[in-house]
Amino acid sequence: MAKTTLSTRDSGYGASASPWKAVLWVIWLILMVGGTIGVFQRFSSGHLAAGYGSYVPWGLWIGLYFLGVGISGGSFIIGAVGYIFGIPGFSRPSELRTAIVLSLAALIPAFIGVALDLGHMERLIKVLTSPVFTSMMAFNAWMYNIFIVVAAVSWLLTFKDNSTWLKPLLVFGAFLSILFPSQSGVFFEAVRTNEFWHSPLLSVLFLASAIALGAAGLLFVRILLGESGNREGYSNAIRWLRTIAVAAIIVYLAFEFAEFSIVLWNPGQHSPSIDFLLFGGYWQVFWILHLLLGALIPLALFASNHKGLWAIAALLTGLGFAAARMCILVPGQIAGHIPGLQQAFQDVRLTYSYHPTSMEYLVGFFMLAVGMAIFYVGIRLGKTFASSPEHGYGSSIEQDGGLQSGTAA
Amino acid sequence: MSEPKGKMERREFLLAGGLVGAGTAVAGVVIVKDRMPSAPQDPTGEKTVRNLNVLKNLKPQEHEDEHVRMQRELVKAMAKPVEKRHWAMVIDTRKCVGCHACTIGCVAENKLPPGVVYRPVVITETGDYPNVQMRFLPRPCMQCDNPSCVPVCPVKATWKRPDGVVAIDYDKCIGCRYCLNACPYGARTSDFGRHYTGEAAGAPSGKDRPMEGIAAAQWEHEPSNEYGKSWSRKDHSSPVGNARKCHFCLHRLEVGQLPMCVTTCIGRATYFGDSNDADSLVSSLIVKNNSQTLLAHLGNKPQCYYLV
Repeated sequence: MAKTTLSTRDSGYGASASPWKAVLWVIWLILMVGGTIGVFQRFSSGHLAAGYGSYVPWGLWIGLYFLGVGISGGSFIIGAVGYIFGIPGFSRPSELRTAIVLSLAALIPAFIGVALDLGHMERLIKVLTSPVFTSMMAFNAWMYNIFIVVAAVSWLLTFKDNSTWLKPLLVFGAFLSILFPSQSGVFFEAVRTNEFWHSPLLSVLFLASAIALGAAGLLFVRILLGESGNREGYSNAIRWLRTIAVAAIIVYLAFEFAEFSIVLWNPGQHSPSIDFLLFGGYWQVFWILHLLLGALIPLALFASNHKGLWAIAALLTGLGFAAARMCILVPGQIAGHIPGLQQAFQDVRLTYSYHPTSMEYLVGFFMLAVGMAIFYVGIRLGKTFASSPEHGYGSSIEQDGGLQSGTAA
Repeated sequence: MSEPKGKMERREFLLAGGLVGAGTAVAGVVIVKDRMPSAPQDPTGEKTVRNLNVLKNLKPQEHEDEHVRMQRELVKAMAKPVEKRHWAMVIDTRKCVGCHACTIGCVAENKLPPGVVYRPVVITETGDYPNVQMRFLPRPCMQCDNPSCVPVCPVKATWKRPDGVVAIDYDKCIGCRYCLNACPYGARTSDFGRHYTGEAAGAPSGKDRPMEGIAAAQWEHEPSNEYGKSWSRKDHSSPVGNARKCHFCLHRLEVGQLPMCVTTCIGRATYFGDSNDADSLVSSLIVKNNSQTLLAHLGNKPQCYYLV
C-alpha cells in the first residue's frame, strides 16, 4: 500500500521533511498575503472596489458565507451523531473534536465575509442587541452565536471524563446544525417576491449540501490528519464519510433537478433566472463548476478505492457547492420585475449583472486562510490540552498522524 | 479512559430533550412575539398635528389649479394626527412626457449621490414603425401597505409609519441590503459612498465635463434633510452605507410642501394626497377604472397608483 505519512512530532501537521507540510504552508501564506491585501482594499476604498450594486446587492462573500455555514452544520452533525451512537471512527473524543473544530473553522470566517459585506460593519452587534425575529437574518445570527457557544462548550467537555452534559449538548448542537443550514435556505425562500428563491425546496437543498459539505470536509481533514492510532476506526470513518457525501450529493442533484424541471416544462416568472443559469451568462458556473467539477467528477472519484482520490473528491465537492451557492444567489438577483429599469437611470451600480472583482476574490482568500488557521490552532490546542491518548491524538498521532494516501483496502 | 459508551443514558436523554425543547420554545415565543402587531415606533396623536399657515390667505376656488388643491389638501391632512393620514400617489402615465424632471428634482432635493435614485422614469418603446408608442413609467417607492422590505430587516431599521410611508432609520440600518433584494420594484438603492466630483477625475471634457472646483465639492457635502434631520455624508457617515429610497419627501410635507417630484412634474402627471380623505383629489383618482397598481399579483398593496 502506497503511503505517505506526516509525523506530527513537531508543531506542524507533519515532519519538516514532508512535502505536504511545506505545500500547506505555502498555500496558506499565499492565501493570507493575498487576503490581507484584499481586506486592506476593502477598508481603504469601502465597497467601491466590489462588483455588487443595488440591483444585485449580494455577491461572492454572501455565497462563501453560506458555504461556510453548510460545512459548519454538516461537520458538526456528522461528528455529533457518530459520537453519540458510538460509530467506530467517530466515537473517540479526539475524533469528535476534529468535527467541532472544523465546524467552528468554517463558521467564523463566514461571519467575516458577512461583516465585510455590510454597509455599516460597526453596527453588526445590533443584530444581536436589537433583533427583529421576523427577519431570517436576525434569527440565523442568534442561532449561529448560540451554536458557537454550544460547540465551544462541547469541545471543552471532550476533555472531561464521563461528562453528563456532553451528549445532551451534542444533541442540542446537532439540532441547531440541522436548523441553521436549512434555515439558510429559508433566508432566500422568505423573499416572497422573488420567484426563483421563493421555493420550499431551497431548505432541502441547503440541508443536503450541508451534509455533503460536512462529510467532504471531515473526510478531507481526517485523511489529512491520518489514522490517529486507530486504523480500524479511521478506515470505518472515511468509508462512512464517503458514503454520506455521495448520498448527499445525489440527493442534492435530485432535488435540484426536481426544481429546475418544473420550470423548464412550465415556464413561469422565474424562467429568466433559469435561462440565465442554464443557458445564459452563468452556464459555465452551473455546468462546469457545479455539476461537472463539483458533483460528477467527485462522484466518480468517490467510486474508486483510492483514499488520495477521495481527498481530491472532497476538495472538488467544496468547490462545487461554492459554485452551487452562487448558482442560487446570482440568478435570483439578475431578473428584475420591471423591464427597462436598468436603462431608466444608468449607473454601474444599477445593472442586473454581477462579476466578482479581484478584491472580492482576495477577501475570499482571507476567509479561507482564517479558516485554515482556526482549524490548525484548534487541532493543536486539542492535542495540547489532551492528557491521554483517548483525550487527544496523544502519542498515537505523534507516531502515525498525517496525510496519507493509498488504497483503502 | 475507556472507549465512550455508544448510547445515551436516561439522564443524558432527558437533558438533551430539555435543551432542544427549551430552545424550540424560546424560538417560537420570540418569533410569534415579533409577528404580533406592536405599538408604532413613531409619535402619534395630537403632538403630530401641524397647523400650517400655507395658503391661509388664498381662498378655495372652484376649478382651482390642481397643485393648489393638492397643497390645500396637504395642509388639511397635516392638521390631523399622523395615524389619521394615509399618503398616496397617483401617476397619470398618459400625461407623463418622460422629461425626467421628477428624477432630477428628487436628486437635487435629497442630495442623492451617484448610483442612488429614488424615482427613475422607465421608458419602453412598443410597436413597429409606423405604429410606435413610447411609454413612460415613473417609479417612486410604492409605500406598500404590505411591504416585503420591512419584515426582512434584521434590526427594524425600516418600518411602516402610521401615515403609510415606509421609512428608514439611517442611524440604525446596518447596510445588509436584504431589503434591496426583497423589494420587487427595485425601489431601494444602496449608498456605496460615491461622489460625483471624486469620480470625475479622468472624465471626458466638453459637455460631459464633470463638475469641478470647490463649489462642486461643497454641493456634494451639503446635508440632505430626509426624515426631518440633517444628514451629511462626510467621513462615511449615514446615509453612506445605508439602503435609501423615496419617502414621499416627508420633510417637505412637514412644512406644507408637496413632494419634489410632484412640484417639478411639467406634465402635471403626478398627484399626491391623503387617501383617507374621501374628498381629496387622489381619492377620486384612485377609484377610476383606469387606475392600476404595479405588480399587484405580488400582494404588496402598493400605494402608488397609475392611470393608464
